[in-house]
Amino acid sequence: MATAPQFPGLDFGDKFRFWPKHNEKIYERLDAKHAWIEEKRAAEGDGGMAATEWSEVDPLEHEMILNMGPQHPATHGVLRCVVKLDGETIEKAVLDIGYLHRGIEKLAESKTYQEFMPYTDRMDYLSPYSNNVAWCLAVEKLAGIEIPERAEWIRMIMCELARISSHCLWLGVGLMDAGAVSGFLWTFQQREDIYSIFDEVAGARFTVSHSRIGGVASDLTPRSFELIRAFCDSFKEELARWQKFLNRNRIWIERNKDVGRITKEEAIELGMTGPNLRGSGVEYDIRRFEPYLKYDEVDFTIPIREEGDCLARYFLRLEEMEQSIRIIEQCLDRMPEGPVRADDAKQAYPSKDEVYYSMEGMIHDFMYTDVGTQAPKGANAYHAVESPKGELGFYLTSDGTGRPFRVRINAPSFTNLQGMEYIMEGSLVADTVVIIGSIDPVMGEADK
Amino acid sequence: MRDDERNAQPKQEKREHEALKFYYTPMDEARADDSESNPHAKGATRIPDVIKALVDEFGDVVWNVETYAGEDTVFVEKEKIREVCQFLRDDLGFNYFSDCGGIDRFTEDERYEMFYNLVSLERGKRIRVKIRIEEDDLSVPSVTQVYRAANWNEREAYDMLGIKFDGHPDLRRMYMPEDFEYHPLRKEFPLLGVPGSLPLPPQTPEGELTMDPFAAAHGSKPTKSYLEPKSDYADDTDNE
Repeated sequence: MATAPQFPGLDFGDKFRFWPKHNEKIYERLDAKHAWIEEKRAAEGDGGMAATEWSEVDPLEHEMILNMGPQHPATHGVLRCVVKLDGETIEKAVLDIGYLHRGIEKLAESKTYQEFMPYTDRMDYLSPYSNNVAWCLAVEKLAGIEIPERAEWIRMIMCELARISSHCLWLGVGLMDAGAVSGFLWTFQQREDIYSIFDEVAGARFTVSHSRIGGVASDLTPRSFELIRAFCDSFKEELARWQKFLNRNRIWIERNKDVGRITKEEAIELGMTGPNLRGSGVEYDIRRFEPYLKYDEVDFTIPIREEGDCLARYFLRLEEMEQSIRIIEQCLDRMPEGPVRADDAKQAYPSKDEVYYSMEGMIHDFMYTDVGTQAPKGANAYHAVESPKGELGFYLTSDGTGRPFRVRINAPSFTNLQGMEYIMEGSLVADTVVIIGSIDPVMGEADK
Repeated sequence: MRDDERNAQPKQEKREHEALKFYYTPMDEARADDSESNPHAKGATRIPDVIKALVDEFGDVVWNVETYAGEDTVFVEKEKIREVCQFLRDDLGFNYFSDCGGIDRFTEDERYEMFYNLVSLERGKRIRVKIRIEEDDLSVPSVTQVYRAANWNEREAYDMLGIKFDGHPDLRRMYMPEDFEYHPLRKEFPLLGVPGSLPLPPQTPEGELTMDPFAAAHGSKPTKSYLEPKSDYADDTDNE
């Protein structure tokens, strides 16, 4: 049996106990784990598990335990993969997360609904706008707030931009994991353009916090319309260029084809979500399943792929980006004039014009900062949106005060990572980075 | 006048600073009929036929159905949660496990709650099943045999709230280290943490372990993350 290595952490003696014990547990788990690859081998043989001496199973001592991460350039954050290798094949994998755990759910309990908004930016920090919208919609559902139509369209445009931005990063980093560095620079150029739009719209490039409870913080400026239209046009060309480069690229295809494969049944069983689920042929997209904002009024298709491997997820995400552009263009055409914020001092902040020039406005602003939105006592609601990574949902419970009683975040990266443990088993160790890239986890969200 | 009374200090009015409290005005209780007016209510969460099927199958095990914002929450007996999930998956088509998590209701009688969000992909419906858990008996049947995807979520609930899942294949802590004594999402766990509960590595190469990362907030002097150069102007008592 592979023995667990000695840890230098033991030197800390009695005081600094958690690290060795934590490791011990992981190694115990690795030994005790009944992996899918064992099931597969058993299925090939007489159906029973091999009951042989260890020396017979592994006479040349091919087995080793490899720790990848917590900080590995290809793990997209602090993700630790402890894998048991048989030669180059991963036999068992155990993922260890929690290195970035900030206790966001606990923090939310001590903040008003509005105060928690900037924290959502920092969850899936690659597409902050989606998180903002998910939070706003959940609170609005809980408190029964209706927002004006224009705000809904603005949110939709920005959500789709966030999706493109997130997928751009996924593609660039995925390319880099597979060995192509220049692709990373191309996709980051597009992300820069999207950041410029966010800068114009929200005043911040990265952590936008633009969507607010009861509407959005500010209306789009004429300049931002220009920027968005220009981006839509240029991005279509860029996307075509990427597809021309990658769709028939032999290296890219051979790195991705039949790698990290999950069947439809497995994907459902493991609870995969987002592109990882749709890449296996399951038609589950919250935008269609229970349409929020104005998604039931725009025309778009949801790409589905049957193969369930990394290549399928690649094609799927590129198609999703195309569809996002389509949605944005429709939004721009159909966006009506009007207010961008609910006109009720108990549901949304007053505009800054009101705050600066009227007494009532100032009082409302103060009250809203202090007490904020109030949901009825005992109310609870779950609202999910289709974030770039998958189903991002907030389950909120209210005790009638201005702060949420309990916030439960259903984070897509967390769900996807759980499935990844099983996907990795049976694949090659060199494919791990490609699989991690293709699953596209963001640890800020998985660790919450 | 008795002796003890004579010797007693004259009562002085306490003139301690009291923090200004702000009392929120709690809103009305949530009413089921609010759901009609809720602009965000979805059709996917209205499932009267599913609830009827559940009641027909399990009878008293389903002891309450709550509706708010167009969402039905079905309360079932804790012991029967696995059977209910099995029935929902096999007979009613709720094959996709979306989410589950725990709630600490703190002052209420049955202190903890677990909720399970299930999705039927074919029918396009959602259901939320809830169980209540007594503080004295924190063990809950695990649903990992029914929904494999519940594995990490249940581990998270175990880590954060201390709810124990019977039959879970791998009940380790999710975020916190293995022998961390507390469950941080419980309401009584302080927001700034318990000093000394999670010793962190030394902040300087040769230094001591950091026993309290939020020392200043707990009323003591924080450890410096760097070796401060000696200054002529610094207060001597400061460096002791």
